[in-house]
Amino acid sequence: MNPVFDLPTPPGAGGRVAHDALEARFGRRLAARLTEGSEALPHDISERLRFAREQALQRARTASAVPAAVAAPAAGTSPGGGGNGFWWRLASVLPGIALVAGLVLIEMEHDDEVTRTAADIDAALLSDDLPPTAYTDPGFAEYLKDSGS
Amino acid sequence: MASDKELSDFLKSVEKRAFKRTVYAVRDDDAALDIVQDSMIRLADKYADRPPAELPLLFQRILSNATMDWFRRQKVRNAVVRNFSDFESSDPDEDFDLLEALEAVAHPAAVEGAEHGVARAQILTAIEAEVARLPDRQREAFLLRYWEELDVAETALAMGCSEGSVKTHCSRAVHSLARALKAKGVQP
Repeated sequence: MNPVFDLPTPPGAGGRVAHDALEARFGRRLAARLTEGSEALPHDISERLRFAREQALQRARTASAVPAAVAAPAAGTSPGGGGNGFWWRLASVLPGIALVAGLVLIEMEHDDEVTRTAADIDAALLSDDLPPTAYTDPGFAEYLKDSGS
Repeated sequence: MASDKELSDFLKSVEKRAFKRTVYAVRDDDAALDIVQDSMIRLADKYADRPPAELPLLFQRILSNATMDWFRRQKVRNAVVRNFSDFESSDPDEDFDLLEALEAVAHPAAVEGAEHGVARAQILTAIEAEVARLPDRQREAFLLRYWEELDVAETALAMGCSEGSVKTHCSRAVHSLARALKAKGVQP
């Protein structure tokens, strides 16, 4: 046994073992001193560390809450919740259906607009090309009046 | 998975040492607080679902990386220069008698008598100054190994180096500290 450190010192390796043990012992002793010092931090530093810790814990709670929130709707598609799954799928398809219907309506309205514009142009052309004598016809004048209104 | 209380207890147990360790590295209280806070949040964000036993090593790794990030951001290159001393092939004081320097360790009763008030504070101040003066890698290895009580393999993992490097860094750190404290007449 090493008389100083009470460590086993096997023949051949004794020096190395004792040396390592000595280093470790010294290191731990210094570490104990450092611990004493770290326990006596100024109040403001301790408070800021506490605040930092609480912020980190809040983040951890948020991080664990998000997967739970994601998992809850997913449970509706499980075998036990088949009915809910159908409605969830239907609900997810509805916006697509509404979009397609809207596009069709817009297309139809556009076609009507084109048709009306073409008719107006035709009417204008026809009225321009009429011989002046046509305006003497009371029936045709009445027709134009009705179309204009 | 670590519970809220387990994570809280872990952070509480490690926060002061983490702060001091970072202060030794960056020499700025505010920066050290930011780094520790950032490390805590990273741990809570990404690893709160890990078992409590894994938290110490993960946190030390995160703290080391956060400190390195800070150095990169600050473009402080003198730390790299200091690290060159780690590559020295031989110890200039190879014949330094560690046994003699640490004799007091074997006789704690003889030291206890001097441990009062101001003397205790002076000893602590001297130790902290010498720890802060160590090359970065030596200091990190020393503190992880003896202060955070990680074993050699865990320290190597936290530092991203081999176990042999950890042993070398620790040994050199201990010798440097013993030599410096002896020169100051400080018996830890």
